[in-house]
Amino acid sequence: MYCVKCGVRLREGAKACPLCGTPVWCPEAGEGAPEAAPYSERYPVIRRQERLTIMAALTVALLAAMVACCSICLHTTGRIGWSFYVLVGTVTFYLVFLLPWWFKNPHPMVFVPVAFLSLCLMLLLICGYTGGHWFWSFAFPLTGIVAVLTIGAIALFRYVKRGAIFITGGLLTVCGGACLLIELFQHLTFHTPMFTWSIYAAVVFALFGGFLLLAGMIRPLREHLERKFFL
Amino acid sequence: MGGERSKIWMPLDNAALIFPAIRRKNWNNVFRESVTLTEAVNPVLLQQAVNELMPRFPSFYLRLRRGVFWYYLEEVEAPPLVQEDYAYPLTFMTRGEMGRCCLRVLYYRNRIAVEFFHVLSDGGGAMVYLKTLTARYLALRYGAQIPPTDGVMDVQGHPDPEELEDSFQRYAADHPAFCPEAEAYRLPGKRELGRFTGLITGVIPAESLRALAHRYGCTVTVLLSAVMVECVLAMQEEQVPKKRQKPVKITVPVDLRRLFPSRTLRNFVLTVNPGVDPRLGAYTLRELCDTFTHQLAAETTPQRMAGRIAENVNPQRNGFMKAVPVILKTPVMRAVYDRRGEKLGCLNVSNLGAQGLPAAMAPYVERMEFIIGVQYSYPNNCSLVTCQGVTCINMIRSTRSTELERRFFSRLVELGVPVSIETNE
Repeated sequence: MYCVKCGVRLREGAKACPLCGTPVWCPEAGEGAPEAAPYSERYPVIRRQERLTIMAALTVALLAAMVACCSICLHTTGRIGWSFYVLVGTVTFYLVFLLPWWFKNPHPMVFVPVAFLSLCLMLLLICGYTGGHWFWSFAFPLTGIVAVLTIGAIALFRYVKRGAIFITGGLLTVCGGACLLIELFQHLTFHTPMFTWSIYAAVVFALFGGFLLLAGMIRPLREHLERKFFL
Repeated sequence: MGGERSKIWMPLDNAALIFPAIRRKNWNNVFRESVTLTEAVNPVLLQQAVNELMPRFPSFYLRLRRGVFWYYLEEVEAPPLVQEDYAYPLTFMTRGEMGRCCLRVLYYRNRIAVEFFHVLSDGGGAMVYLKTLTARYLALRYGAQIPPTDGVMDVQGHPDPEELEDSFQRYAADHPAFCPEAEAYRLPGKRELGRFTGLITGVIPAESLRALAHRYGCTVTVLLSAVMVECVLAMQEEQVPKKRQKPVKITVPVDLRRLFPSRTLRNFVLTVNPGVDPRLGAYTLRELCDTFTHQLAAETTPQRMAGRIAENVNPQRNGFMKAVPVILKTPVMRAVYDRRGEKLGCLNVSNLGAQGLPAAMAPYVERMEFIIGVQYSYPNNCSLVTCQGVTCINMIRSTRSTELERRFFSRLVELGVPVSIETNE
């Protein structure tokens, strides 16, 4: 039995050519017994359930640890004291590191913002609990800047197929600017002197970033660097 | 217990170092070799044969473990249990499974198949294991007296230390041979079938293929690579404007045992990437055959290969590299692989060559097959082996489209080679 289009011989009993999909027309079909299939019908069991079981066990273990901490704290001090930090820290750890494992294909554009939001919330709670005044003027902008930079970098590397050298150079330069901004917020909140550390970091970032941008623009330099630094 | 023997362990050979680092959650580098017998396989006797081979082949009954600085292989507690084959070859070997044994023995009707994680061995070494396993099974099943020739080992013998050595370390040249290469065209298609792999097998009389290769003045490997390149060139021509076209290259593994006097059963293979640049003009099949013959001849000299071995071995010998923990080395190795590893060829054409069998074994064997898995990011691969006058060309894919397979096998038919097609779908 042959495929009229490809000219290849087909297995007895085949309904269509596996190469081109042309249906088989064979007047003698049914005269001979169909050949046995070369592979069985058995499929491997994909054990996603195993991971979900581990996740469920971890969740229960963390919950139990949190309840135990609260009980000990209440029993010894009569109020929620140090266990507050344990509770907040554990919940943040869970949201940042463990939550994505519940999903088959966790998307970074969803879970990275979630991680930063939970981090922000943790800092807000700690700030409120300790009666500090540093959240809105320092922790929030700091987390925001790092979040924007991280999410931006992930998005650019994920969705822009070309120009990795320009993206890296641009991001490094922006990181330099971000250092200055962070020190500004530090200065406004804690009244520390301005431009003590950030200027050095900014210069280093700007130098590296600028060099990469320059290398991206000058093709011979870029090719030379690729040859030199090829891993 | 003072009398207890400590477990055998061995570091990975030079070629195997990359495989644990590049494995993913749904992909790893596993290949299969199988033999089809004239009668149905008895799983109980097959299990007995698998068990009996354990002392003779200590480099196959190993599991993958992670050390502080490198991965290593450790002797398994017990031989793997034989299992019924699945609906598709090379089902995903999980980390847990590799932690138990990097080898899987399967049976289905008349077929015995062995799947190897590539850290254990290459196609050549694995073929020795499969032939010996089959010989032992036939001896148990039919009482066949099969002498240890044609790649069959003596099961009663002891493993030669040379069989367990990392031959890359022995045959590396003093100076590395640097060989910058252009990236090849990437065949279209993404992983659409999940973990399922589609397989189309072309069964061809070996003599007709050999006669065709003779007509073009080349080897079967060169001929099939040339036909494959012809097909990929035509696909690129249809899909990519001339200016943006890339070289079309085939990755051909070279068994280094043919160039160096090594008896190792572990990995001892390197690849070369013969190809052509379509921007320079069109090629006839004869021109492709001639080009590839010369390219392969230039690349596969012992001197050139020793230099390329040195290029791979030197980083492994570097003191700094040794001292970096494996947890840091792994992402770096993966990054290097992602950047270059799969980009130098469009797909593999891996030919295990013509496999002879001892005369006492031949009447029980119909044919042999060799299947390599798809690459991580490239959708197609091709492998073949010849045995008992039958060449089985296995084309595996992770996409729905069978365009490359259709073009390839139709072209062989056009050239006068009779092709019978089998599939797992």
